[in-house]
Amino acid sequence: MSATYDQVMSDVLGLLDQLSDDWEYSGEITAETGLLTDLGFESLELVVLGVSIQEHYGEQIPFEEMLSDIGKRKLPDIYIGDLVEFIHKHLERAAVGGSI
Amino acid sequence: MRNRTVLIGLDGATFTILDGLMAEGVMPFLKQFTSGGARADLRSVIPPLTPPAWTSLMTGRSPGHHGVFDFFRLTSPDSRQIRLTTSHDIQCETIWSLASREGLRVTTLNFPLMFPPPHIDGYVVPGGWMPWRQLRLGCYPPDLYDRLKALPGFNARELAMDPGLEEKAIEGCSQEEYADWIELHIRREQHWFEILRHLMQIDPCELTAVLFDGVDKLQHLCWRFLDPACLGESPSPWELRIRNLCLDYFRQLDGILAEIVGMAGPDANVVIASDHGFGPTTEIFHVNTWLEQNGYLAWVGDAGHGENGSQQLGIGQFARHVFELDWERTTAYVATPSSNGIYIVRAGAGGAGVPDAEYGRFRQKLIDSLLAFKADGAPVVSRVWTREEAFAGPEGALAPDITLALRDGGHLSVAGSSEALVPRQEVKGSHRPEGVFIAGGPAVQAGASLPQLSILDVTPLLVYSLGLPIPQEFEGRLPEEALDPSFLAARPPAQAAPGEPPQPAAPEKKEEVVFSAEDEKIMADRLRALGYIE
Repeated sequence: MSATYDQVMSDVLGLLDQLSDDWEYSGEITAETGLLTDLGFESLELVVLGVSIQEHYGEQIPFEEMLSDIGKRKLPDIYIGDLVEFIHKHLERAAVGGSI
Repeated sequence: MRNRTVLIGLDGATFTILDGLMAEGVMPFLKQFTSGGARADLRSVIPPLTPPAWTSLMTGRSPGHHGVFDFFRLTSPDSRQIRLTTSHDIQCETIWSLASREGLRVTTLNFPLMFPPPHIDGYVVPGGWMPWRQLRLGCYPPDLYDRLKALPGFNARELAMDPGLEEKAIEGCSQEEYADWIELHIRREQHWFEILRHLMQIDPCELTAVLFDGVDKLQHLCWRFLDPACLGESPSPWELRIRNLCLDYFRQLDGILAEIVGMAGPDANVVIASDHGFGPTTEIFHVNTWLEQNGYLAWVGDAGHGENGSQQLGIGQFARHVFELDWERTTAYVATPSSNGIYIVRAGAGGAGVPDAEYGRFRQKLIDSLLAFKADGAPVVSRVWTREEAFAGPEGALAPDITLALRDGGHLSVAGSSEALVPRQEVKGSHRPEGVFIAGGPAVQAGASLPQLSILDVTPLLVYSLGLPIPQEFEGRLPEEALDPSFLAARPPAQAAPGEPPQPAAPEKKEEVVFSAEDEKIMADRLRALGYIE
């Protein structure tokens, strides 16, 4: 399944908007929002979010690579823009090559 | 003809505790229900652990067939990486899907490995490791969460997993935290009951199932307060307070059971079952340390030799094997503290490894060494199962090569230690194979006290109660001795016609989420909260 970057961004923001309403989070969620620092995600929540995104697109997305990369680079957070770019990249690869 | 059927799961429940509570008047409803129905010890699977055991009850199949061995699983048989086990990993049809496929409606609440939720005709709210902030994603149908959210008193944070609360409860375990932990589970069971009551009122399903897992949580942390044999003759005021809080948990659970059975009505068959039993654990077997001492395992640098602080308590210790072990010098290791399983490194996976031709001899030598390990003059390992013995079936390749039972019934520790076996500072609770089976209703023989049943026998009983033919793939048997003879004569059991085994509803693609160090910490905290990690 292929999706444009904007579609993926819309999907992810829509999902997080819906979820954040359950937490009574009042801040705006954008591409610059950090999942860890702004939204307070725990690691298990990242895993569950990843499984849900894979369910939505019906594609295997290697989030472990993203998490590992963040750990190696000692990045302070996972920003939604980075997450969307990662998802989009792998959806494109899957659509073209059928393998990611 | 079919009967409405209710399955009430009491995670980790044991007659060792329940009999005393019934006798003391803490659980009067359960006493009445048990005396008016059938009861038996319920033998769990190997290992007696929540994910494989509940999955066996849900599928009627053993772990070697359904493929769930632990909270985690290897990403492939040759891999050293582990990831979270999800609903997609269940390789046999669950009773939820079976009933739904047969045109019955199903409600299933708080059972593990139900995320992502199966698309059944009914309602799914997953349990296990489902973060409360994402509980919406685990509910099925998709609008269910919003409907539940509108209920008075709905509290997702207390209903599902809250890593913050879990951490608070486990960090230090001060006196106040014990009380908080127990009170949280009293509220949590009430939250689950409110959801169940709502669904039973607005849309009663033919099969309704709910799991209360506070029994397991309390017994892990509070065994010494629950088991009079551990409490001592002169408990302190604080110990008595904690015991009374524990009793209050069971008292309120008893009230919930009474309400559920009352709502189900006289025509319903009700089965109360646990996935495993419980007992005390008094020592910690640091198995990776033992493997190191016996030449099977080597750490990178000083990894595995820390002695101080939270590292020593095991936070982040499991899954660290991937980067903390010296794979050139490691031939056997334990990755997770929950399944009591040892993996043997095979040649060809990189590093040293055991060649196929030497595997049998190597494994037997390891087993013999483990069985010969003694402390205080007695063997520490009471039993060893090979993969073929414990996990026969098409999925067995992902299971540990060796599974252990320890003399004190405890779980292995993956944390490094200077000593392989150390006494616990205080008694904790740990799993036992013997859980509970209690049943009542028109199909059930009143007052029957039965020999031990298998957890695999519960599934055909549920299917029979629903009026469905029993699949030939089921490995258990219908426990006819638990059934009323006249009921059985009027409705003889039918077996499903032979055919292709039903396939689980799984997506074409499966996730391969491997844990980062951060994931490990959260998971380790969770396991530690359950008592799986020291």
